[in-house]
Amino acid sequence: MGSNKLTPEPYGNPYLAGVLLGLTLLAAFLVLGTGLGASGAMARLGAFLEGTVARTHTLSSAYFGKWGEDPLSYYLVSMLTGVFLGGLFSSALSRRILFGIEKGKTASGGLRLSLALSGGILSGFAARLAQGCTSGQALSGSALMLTGSLVFMACLFAGGYMVAYFVRRQWD
Amino acid sequence: MKTFYGLNALNSGEAFFASLVIGFFFGLALERAGFGSSRRISGIFYFTDMAVLKVMFTALIVAMLGLVFFSSVGLLNISTQIHTVKTYYGAFAVGGLIFGFGFAISGWCPGTAMVGLASGKLDALVFLIGAVIGSILFNELFPVIEPLYTWGRSAQANFNEPGLAFIYQTLGMTKNCFLLLFTAMAVLFFWGAEYVERMNNPEQGGAYFNSPFLKAFCLLLIVTAAALLLLSPQNLDTRASADIAMRQSEESGPSTVRAFMKDVSSSQDYMEPEELADRLLKQDATLTVLDVRPESEYRDFHIRGALNVPLHEVAAFMAKNGESGIIVLYANGMIDPAQARDELSRMGFKNVTILTDGLTGFLERCLKPVSLRSEPVSTETANRIRSWREYFVLSALDQRFQQRGHHY
Repeated sequence: MGSNKLTPEPYGNPYLAGVLLGLTLLAAFLVLGTGLGASGAMARLGAFLEGTVARTHTLSSAYFGKWGEDPLSYYLVSMLTGVFLGGLFSSALSRRILFGIEKGKTASGGLRLSLALSGGILSGFAARLAQGCTSGQALSGSALMLTGSLVFMACLFAGGYMVAYFVRRQWD
Repeated sequence: MKTFYGLNALNSGEAFFASLVIGFFFGLALERAGFGSSRRISGIFYFTDMAVLKVMFTALIVAMLGLVFFSSVGLLNISTQIHTVKTYYGAFAVGGLIFGFGFAISGWCPGTAMVGLASGKLDALVFLIGAVIGSILFNELFPVIEPLYTWGRSAQANFNEPGLAFIYQTLGMTKNCFLLLFTAMAVLFFWGAEYVERMNNPEQGGAYFNSPFLKAFCLLLIVTAAALLLLSPQNLDTRASADIAMRQSEESGPSTVRAFMKDVSSSQDYMEPEELADRLLKQDATLTVLDVRPESEYRDFHIRGALNVPLHEVAAFMAKNGESGIIVLYANGMIDPAQARDELSRMGFKNVTILTDGLTGFLERCLKPVSLRSEPVSTETANRIRSWREYFVLSALDQRFQQRGHHY
């Protein structure tokens, strides 16, 4: 570690990172009683933004409406803020902050960004439909051994393997 | 132990601060794992870098071991302290597939993209913008896709919640047994992951293939899971095991104390607010509901149909009237009724249950208007809430108007 002050450090042991993640998840259960979550905060941000543009429409809508006037006042919003700060701290510590688009050498930036956008739209939509994402369902729900969460996780990987071949160019 | 969820305080400043700290470690762990890089995350779909599998399954097992331990020794009551999501097979399968498409197409998911953003990745920012757009799209389409949102609810019921399904029940085994099987499966996955990395990406991957570290690590996980299997051979959360414990206590003397402890910590002598509300609504004559709070609080508000028997009079009331039917005790919280219940149980009454989460929980879960709830409510639940409110709230208001009539 730290042989060169300018190059990013290589990633550490993934199993030990998994232990740290597992202990964090356990702490979230014992303290909050809910596990971890991320997509909920993005949806809250969506409700907030839609609310600033079309206030009455959003408040009377069947899904966002129930979150009320101040959808950002929610524990998952502070959790995702923490995720950003923790990620910033760790990547700064290991000199892994690199501004730019991550892609393959020959792939175009436009291709990569349009795939990132379409993937984001699909994920944001699907996380609402399934009441959670990789954090809330696949990780937290499966740790509780909830049948639905394990079904979600199995389908998540099945879906990923189904389309990965068709979008491989972005990493070439 | 009590969680913010169990105390109904997830919206407090303290819970927001705790979430921020937990989120910090969440982000830290994801970045340490290398998930600030979408290329590394995507590796799982091309069998070149299996970090996602290694990190996820390690985290799952660590959390499962902890949860099974804390719930088996009675320190954590999952039914009251942990937020659990019901199973909708159709919605979650379709949602999982679409989410998987998005995951492989973009290389991100919401949590990792936040870490990617913190690492300066423009594609992570674009993904997050997409996720916000996708959420708004869902909100706009919700009236059309609502049937899909509640499609395929599981036939299982736990903690009196229809649709709440646990995989070990689906598979017909105990929680501890499932944990050992899941751990064994994960260990096989780890070896397979190291092997395919070595085949497809020999320069960088497969570093732990056959390594002393991975052998020791896998052995430690298996041994811990097996130890939990021995520590608590029965699953304390299911009614079935509570019944077994009851039968054991009738058969053999020495295990009576242990069975009693199990009985106390199991959910058998709790009644969930929803069940109580439904049974009172249907005028269930087998129930006697006792409000054990002081008379002044009872006069202020009580559950319709409940009798006011202050705590110190409960034993006398039971000796006189309490031999038949089911007795449900409640106060604002659960401590006083739990003490009374344990005392009555020692006196020989086996028909005493306490209301989960007390009157506070009853108000929150049954009588809180749909419009004030933070999570969306299905039409079916909304209808139940409306009928409960009509029965329990309006009658209390009428009574108050009558009392005022006397005063003025």
